[in-house]
Amino acid sequence: MPPFARYLLHTLFPPDVLRPTEVGADVLILATGVIIMVVMTRRHKWRHLWTEWLTTVDHKKIAVMYLIAAIAMLFRGGVDALMIRTNLALPGSPVISASEYNAVFTTHGTIMIFFMAMPFIFALFNAVIPLMIGSRDVAFPRLNAMSFWLFAFGALLFNMSFVIGGSPNAGWTAYPPLTERVFNPGPGENFYFLSLLIAGIGTTMTGINFVVTSLRMRAPGMTLMKMPMFVWSALATSTLILFAFPPLTVALLMSLIDRLFGSSFFTLGHGGMPMMYVNLFWLFGHPEVYIVVLPAFGIFSEVVPTFSRKRLFGYETMVLSIVAIMLLAYGTWVHHFFTMGAGPTVNAFFGLSTMLIAIPTGVKIFNWIFTMWGGRIRTTVAMLYQLAFIPTFVVGGASGIMLATIPADYQFHNSYFLVAHFHNVLIGGTLFGLLSGMYYWWPKMFGRKLDERQGKWAFWLFLTGFWITFGPQYLLGLKGMTRRMYTYPLGYGWHTLNVISTLGAFVMGAGFLVLVYNIVYSMRNGERDLTGDPWDGRTLEWALPSPAPEYNFARIPVVYERDAYWDMKEKGQTLANSLTVRDVHDLELPRNSSLPFFLGLSFFVVGFGMVFSWWIIAGLGFAGVAACLVAVGFDYRGPKRVDAAFIRGTEVALGRLRA
Amino acid sequence: MAEPLINRADPESEEAEAEGALAFLRPRFAEERFPWIQVWGYGGSLVLTLGAYFSVVRHVLAPQFLVAAILAMAAGQAALQLGVFMHLRESRGLSWQIVPLALAFFTALGMIGMSIWIMAFKSGVS
Repeated sequence: MPPFARYLLHTLFPPDVLRPTEVGADVLILATGVIIMVVMTRRHKWRHLWTEWLTTVDHKKIAVMYLIAAIAMLFRGGVDALMIRTNLALPGSPVISASEYNAVFTTHGTIMIFFMAMPFIFALFNAVIPLMIGSRDVAFPRLNAMSFWLFAFGALLFNMSFVIGGSPNAGWTAYPPLTERVFNPGPGENFYFLSLLIAGIGTTMTGINFVVTSLRMRAPGMTLMKMPMFVWSALATSTLILFAFPPLTVALLMSLIDRLFGSSFFTLGHGGMPMMYVNLFWLFGHPEVYIVVLPAFGIFSEVVPTFSRKRLFGYETMVLSIVAIMLLAYGTWVHHFFTMGAGPTVNAFFGLSTMLIAIPTGVKIFNWIFTMWGGRIRTTVAMLYQLAFIPTFVVGGASGIMLATIPADYQFHNSYFLVAHFHNVLIGGTLFGLLSGMYYWWPKMFGRKLDERQGKWAFWLFLTGFWITFGPQYLLGLKGMTRRMYTYPLGYGWHTLNVISTLGAFVMGAGFLVLVYNIVYSMRNGERDLTGDPWDGRTLEWALPSPAPEYNFARIPVVYERDAYWDMKEKGQTLANSLTVRDVHDLELPRNSSLPFFLGLSFFVVGFGMVFSWWIIAGLGFAGVAACLVAVGFDYRGPKRVDAAFIRGTEVALGRLRA
Repeated sequence: MAEPLINRADPESEEAEAEGALAFLRPRFAEERFPWIQVWGYGGSLVLTLGAYFSVVRHVLAPQFLVAAILAMAAGQAALQLGVFMHLRESRGLSWQIVPLALAFFTALGMIGMSIWIMAFKSGVS
């Protein structure tokens, strides 16, 4: 074998990625890849894939791509979770080794936050925000596609580390000195830093896009205080992204420079400050918590009024508390490292600010309850997730207050109590919210409802599994079990609780399988949504057919009331029965573009080259990035014109315009 | 009589309105044959970045002076980015820029100030 090939084999496939799990995954990935290739080629779908999906700038299609990615990542993060739980149920004979365990809990956390929750949120933003505000697309459609492709290629780079080069293994927070090159020589952490940097550029651009969209693209008459709450949550989330991602970018970049070029920003020696990384990370990390939970709050504020047949209780206080949460979110980050030993004044300040944030959150909880009060409640799957969310999130919030109590935190810190707390709020808050939103808006995205009976099975499995998993973990924390241990000696009284917790995790896994079955079944057999308004909805997206046509609104509506579509229905004047032939004019829509895809690909090449310090490849990637940006700058083609006759034809076919 | 549900406003009358009382809201864009300002701005930002880098790596000044010099270059860099690339001189006038700018400065200074306060922990406990 020539030395070049041996070097390549050794670098790309070190012993870490030749364990049975990884080789098994290799086989599965190759097999799936071959099957997809064969099916696509047989059905001549490649051109369709390229023109309709990979180059699209339509927010509705980008939403579908985000959703597919999010569910795939939920699967991978979930499998990681089951590996973790299996190991902890069998302390005498661990299934996976300590080093593999490190990799698995690292990828579990990173994937669930950055590559599951974030794209799931963007999927729902993209799917409904433009429809809710009566707009034809987001403010910057091509930028939106760039965001998606940067996210997608970042996710690809991160997931690749599992089978090529070795996984990151320093936890999802990647604290130095665990990531220092001296202590962690493989390419794993480079994968972590580069993939998050690339996906982070995309996230920042999405933030810009949705701030501008919700401020500038609203239909005439929709003042800020008539905006649906989900749009408010998108505005608050995007603002948080704009201010929270720069510290993360800086921290990741400086760590990467430490690793690749031997600087010492965060190293133990040479005057580095490892704690500064922790500070910067949580300067991002705490707003991030609200970035993932505010959209869920927004979803519930849409779901609850619809399924209670009442307008949202206390809209003004809802807006006020979402803005208060947004501002307070910047002032609490030290509670993630009270035990660092900052002075008592610092800790007291941040302990108090943390408790303060419970007030607006409590206001929101009460407002949802008062919305339901006296309403005619329908327990659809979307509503069930909301009903489960309230008690679950309240428990999670209460344990959060316990963690914010500084003397107690010195006991809880990094124990399973903390693990139970953040899963309590992230699953009970974010994931329940996102699943609720998925069931609620699925008909709008795909034109069919998800089967309710199967959905309820998935829901109950998920909810019971959740409590069986994380209830015992609170107790484990109080019994002194710390996070991130791959095994433990018997005789501490931890074993029974761990076995129960693992059983719960598998119940949640079963819930996920039912959910996927539900999706696959409903794609073919789900009830068709022919009215465009399957839930008797209140906001503008339900005024459109499901799925909405490419141009969304044949003519932009005028908004008079907060629940715009409800108001139209009350007046007996919907978009469908008030559109006349005279109202339909030629439209301009953004043109499809392949540049976002190539920009993502170029960044992927940059990332891959830098992971292994192959500078020629990285340089080629940078050249690609520059070429894409130049091409964007000199693209003078105007928008695509859509003929009025075509729109009239479409609206007639949808039964929304008399020919 | 129900109000009209779809927007039948004449786009030209909106433009006419923007000519009158709302004229100050009309977008203003700098129009040049070649973007010399941006080219010089890009060059300037590179010079400031490399200047900071080499003055640290080569230890050209005593530490306190070095920090002061870097801070001065950072202020120049910020002004340059805002003025040249963030369209501060264009668009709808300063009233649209003041609030977000103030918010950005408030947040940035808050983050820096608080970080210094937090990271001074060695003086508090040890």
